[in-house]
Amino acid sequence: MHFHIAVAVIIWAALFVESRKIRGISISYKRFYKERKSFLCIDGSKLIPFEQVNDDYCDCADGSDEPGTAACPSGRFYCTNLGFRPHYIQSSRVNDGICDCCDGSDEYSSPALCQKTCRNLGQQERAELEERMRMLSEGLLMKRQLVEEGADVWREKQAELTDLQKVAEDLQVRLEYLRRRKSDAGAQKEKALTAAQHPTGQEGLRSQIRAELPLDDHGQSLQDTDRLGDKDEGVEPRTDSAAPREESPNEAEVRGGDPSEDDPDVKAAVEAAESAVSDLNKAEEAHQRLQMEIRELEERLAIDYGPEREFLFLLGRCFQITAYEYSYTLCPFNQVTQKSQMGTEVLLGKWDAWDGPPEDLYGVMKYDRGEPCWQGPTRSTHVQLVCGTDSTLRWVKEPSKCHYAMELQTPAACQPQQPSRRGVHNEL
Amino acid sequence: MAAPTDRMGLLLVALLPVLFSIADAVDRSNFKTCDQSAFCKRQRDVKPGQSPYRALLETMELSEARLTLQLINDNNKVRLLLELYRLQGNMTRVRINELKPLRPRYEVPDVLIQEPPTESLLLLERDEHGMVLSLGVDDQRLIINARPFRLDIMDGPKVLLSLNSRGLLVFEHLRLRKDTKTEADAEGVENDVEQNEAEKVEEVEEVTEEEEQPGMWEETFKSHSDAKPSGPSSISLDFSFPGVDHVYGIPEHADSLKLRTTDGGEPYRLYNLDVFQYELYNPMALYGAVPVLLSHTAERTMGLFWLNAAETWVDISSSRAVQGGGDAPQTDVRWISESGIIDVFIMLGPRPTDVISQYASLTGTQSFPPLSALAYHQCRWNYNDQEDVQAVDNGFDEYDIPYDFIWLDIEHTDGKRYFTWDPNKFSQPREMLQNLKDKKRKMVTIVDPHIKVDSSYKIHKEIRSKDFYIKNKDGGDYEGWCWPGNAGYPDFTNPEMRAWWATMFAYDQYEGTMDNLYTWNDMNEPSVFNGPEVTMHKDALHGGWEHRDVHNLYGFYVQMATAQGLIQRSGGVERPFVLTRAFFAGSQRYGAVWTGDNAAEWGHLKMSIPMCLSLGLVGISFCGADVGGFFKTPSPELLVRWYQAGAYQPFFRAHAHLDTPRREPWLFGPENTALIREAVRQRYTLLPYWYQLFYNAHRTGQPVMRPLWLEYPGDPATFAIEDEFLLGKDLLVHPVTDEGSHGVTAFLPGEGEVWYDVHTYKKHQGNLNLYIPVTMNSIPVFQRGGSIITRKERVRRSSSCMEDDPYTLYVAVNAQGTAEGELYIDDGHTFNYEKQNQFIHRRLTFTEGSLSSSNLSPDSQFSTASWVEKVIFIGVPKPSAATLRTADGAESPLEFEFDPASELLALRKPGVNAGADWTIHLR
Repeated sequence: MHFHIAVAVIIWAALFVESRKIRGISISYKRFYKERKSFLCIDGSKLIPFEQVNDDYCDCADGSDEPGTAACPSGRFYCTNLGFRPHYIQSSRVNDGICDCCDGSDEYSSPALCQKTCRNLGQQERAELEERMRMLSEGLLMKRQLVEEGADVWREKQAELTDLQKVAEDLQVRLEYLRRRKSDAGAQKEKALTAAQHPTGQEGLRSQIRAELPLDDHGQSLQDTDRLGDKDEGVEPRTDSAAPREESPNEAEVRGGDPSEDDPDVKAAVEAAESAVSDLNKAEEAHQRLQMEIRELEERLAIDYGPEREFLFLLGRCFQITAYEYSYTLCPFNQVTQKSQMGTEVLLGKWDAWDGPPEDLYGVMKYDRGEPCWQGPTRSTHVQLVCGTDSTLRWVKEPSKCHYAMELQTPAACQPQQPSRRGVHNEL
Repeated sequence: MAAPTDRMGLLLVALLPVLFSIADAVDRSNFKTCDQSAFCKRQRDVKPGQSPYRALLETMELSEARLTLQLINDNNKVRLLLELYRLQGNMTRVRINELKPLRPRYEVPDVLIQEPPTESLLLLERDEHGMVLSLGVDDQRLIINARPFRLDIMDGPKVLLSLNSRGLLVFEHLRLRKDTKTEADAEGVENDVEQNEAEKVEEVEEVTEEEEQPGMWEETFKSHSDAKPSGPSSISLDFSFPGVDHVYGIPEHADSLKLRTTDGGEPYRLYNLDVFQYELYNPMALYGAVPVLLSHTAERTMGLFWLNAAETWVDISSSRAVQGGGDAPQTDVRWISESGIIDVFIMLGPRPTDVISQYASLTGTQSFPPLSALAYHQCRWNYNDQEDVQAVDNGFDEYDIPYDFIWLDIEHTDGKRYFTWDPNKFSQPREMLQNLKDKKRKMVTIVDPHIKVDSSYKIHKEIRSKDFYIKNKDGGDYEGWCWPGNAGYPDFTNPEMRAWWATMFAYDQYEGTMDNLYTWNDMNEPSVFNGPEVTMHKDALHGGWEHRDVHNLYGFYVQMATAQGLIQRSGGVERPFVLTRAFFAGSQRYGAVWTGDNAAEWGHLKMSIPMCLSLGLVGISFCGADVGGFFKTPSPELLVRWYQAGAYQPFFRAHAHLDTPRREPWLFGPENTALIREAVRQRYTLLPYWYQLFYNAHRTGQPVMRPLWLEYPGDPATFAIEDEFLLGKDLLVHPVTDEGSHGVTAFLPGEGEVWYDVHTYKKHQGNLNLYIPVTMNSIPVFQRGGSIITRKERVRRSSSCMEDDPYTLYVAVNAQGTAEGELYIDDGHTFNYEKQNQFIHRRLTFTEGSLSSSNLSPDSQFSTASWVEKVIFIGVPKPSAATLRTADGAESPLEFEFDPASELLALRKPGVNAGADWTIHLR
């Protein structure tokens, strides 16, 4: 009797301690599969005889009784993948004739002859990882430099803006002065003309007009010199009084038969008025140009160049890549274009915004409002940014018509590594 | 696809006038109305009345199975020859041709699978007014009335069908053109005098001249002119169905299942056309034509098969006639064709399934597709390159959605030269195909019939050197614009041409291909961008025949030759899979069809049901619509609903226009991805049932997707239902086809029938309207009580991966507590099932508490690794025990679980081989 009990205890111990190898589970799950009389589904939903574990019939709603077969729709199979990363595959991939685990363990009962590739994959992965780490550290160094350069460029641009704003202020003052002068000269001209049409006893008025002819800052009459613009205009004949000029019919009419035609005072007043108008126009043009420059610069400075302005250095640069019969040019923060072999160029989008997911906003640039497609939308381009040790376009695609995608590799996209998620990679 | 793209610079310029008319919907002005089609107008101007035709009874000749009789038109004295046959299987064939046509008139070849076997005709009575013939079955008789000529088919005292009762038999005899007549007549006389002297004497009356009418000798439509050197040749005949209110068929139209009256509107048109952005609820012609019409009443179903491949119009009018004191409906149908002869098969039913069998005996049944072709297909115009194909393929694995086929549209070719690959984008096609094969998946490439005119293109060179192109009216090779620019059109009506075309699919001819590559024939109406109505000029020549005569056959022949090519390349071993857009009667023998270039609109989703139902009724079971809609962009809701509906339609393929954004199933957020995954998975679990239905369709011609009235012919409530359908007779599907739907009302047919919701197992009584609340994951599907449906519930990456997987049987009992079903298994892809009897066909029967599997085909041999994993009984009381008894007599108990709420009993792991005999007893 004692003997029997002892034997039973030994057998029981053997069963309990030396649990049979259960296919398709990881070490951390082994504790659920200790061999006893029965098996409790991991979700606790059902108690089944232990023989029904991995018997190719799904008993547990959570699939936990069939970790090593394809029986449960929601099951998963653990590939040990010695030499590489262990991972889970869907149980539907067990014995489906396709090798999914690099150790071939998923095709234990199928005609598929699986090569054991874990060792190679492991080596490959380690090499790739090293390469990535090398590239990352190198990239991060370069990025730091780019950030510094960016800061310099930023300061320069800011200074440039300040300068331009200063010039604009000066020009504003000058504009006000010229506007005043124009209205004065106009008034003078009217007076002179009135005086000339009444020849008797008007000398007083005339000298008054002469005296009121506007002078410039240096006391010279403005009609003699031209201080704003036009300095390099030598090619074109001047159209002032020195050169014979074609008179507009209107002027001819006014002058023809006008007794004051040869009156030097009138002439001076008219010329002064014309010159005042022309000076004002030139100044206004210059002011507009300046304002535009300021606006552009402000717009550029308003763009988000990344948390450390690490992408600023891309401004003003362009990158090219050729795919099949087209070459593509990306000018970051500006536009994307496509040029065919025949030379026609199409706009694939203008800079719009950063468009990455919230956790990686600076991972994607969006360019839109490109040329419209026939019967379709306007063209647009998404540029993905990846870390690299130089800045270059890696590929371009057109996943659906008129929607382009490209990848720009640049040190600016390098991020200090997140704490890596090593261990079991779950593909579910 | 019908839409040219902006990439086709040159072509675009050439086509500007055509393309500018393209707007959001079909441009009707591109297509003829009956009034714009000269023969249709001439014919339709003839109103019902006294027929000028008279039967010359004295000319009657009756042989064993054939009766001939001359008809004379009293207005012009032209004689016709009427032939009547009684065909095996309760059909009557009526042929009418000119007694002595000036030239032979076209008779459609290759559509009938054989010369239909006849049965003897018995003359019952004869007098000066006519004669009576027995049609054998019961009390069915055929009455010939002599003056005016008229045929009536009777069943006892009841008229089933009358021909020419409205006097609309019009036969435009071939004639010489007036201005050339004198000369030709003189020649004709010289030639004919000696040969025909004897006959001439017999001809008492001279043929009298008829007035010329517009469009008889030349016709222009828009800028296109049709030379019509043969002059008028159209034919017409009317058929009256007393007592009939419901007629169906004559696809392809984007219209309701039940045909509408065409009084005061356009007739239904049958003329294969590439219609850009077709309109719904419209009788305009579309891509295919099957001139078969079914009439149905609660008592009898009949069919008409008008075997004519020329442009055809069908007028339908309904009236209520006083018959036998009561007010009875009547439907009148009038067929008008541009050329050829009258050759009509009258299928007398009487049950709907009889009519379908009768038609199948004439034109054959649905080809039995490879099993994988019944799975899910992923298509887009276009997957850009090999990398793109690989990325999409990986996407399906990543998101755990099964698929079997990925498709490449025209952009995969080298400059739209079919049988070639773009050298940059698809430089390694074999590698790409091998990668797919490694995952047990397959590919389809497009091969259209228009061939780029390019002297350095092998296919073009060979066709030209063999003189296989269709000719224009002046004898040169016909050329038209299509995708490649200038293109020639091989003459597929020529059997030598078809034989040559088939050889082009050999692996050493179509370079870079492997056995997992299949074919798609598009644009085979044929589509000619710069032709009249976007198709070929009718005066183009196919050998001795005009395109006019053969137009509706072109696509049929293209698919026939292509399917032959796929069979040949495997040495006759493998079943082909070929999808076609254009089709004709008999096209079911060569593969699948789809409903062409639909749009991402709810209306188009709805329309996919009646369109495929109509095709199923006329033999074409393998039908589907582009899931998601071809033109435009579906909302995620529409896309999901379309997947849900498409998963329960025979041909299940997603497709999208080049101009639309990407729509692979995982691009619309995790919720929608999950919904689409679930719909596709439901399809895969039901593949054993689909396969069995297709085997059945192949054997019997009975459609896979059926209108309710087919199974419940006596219930008028089912006659017009087109928002739900049956798969086989055991599954009823009511897809959700409305935006923002909260519920659908399904009609569950059959007094005394019970139906079980396949998702909840809830039981419903038949013959009632059931409101079903729906959410986004609802696909209302019901299993008929009394049926057993087999599923494979281990859904894997592709159907081929599931080959050896076990079955689960769903036994849904009826009110009598019984159920039955079938299980069909073979290798899934070869002809061995047919040539070597290698298949398993089992009958599953549940009666008196015993479920047994018995062999339906003792002569066949096949072994399968599949076994029976689980048996689910729906609607049974709880048993005290369940035992399995195998063929060797061994008995073993089976574990089971029972849910009293839904009367659901699940037997655990019978484990028997799916091919074995076994019985399960419930006690």
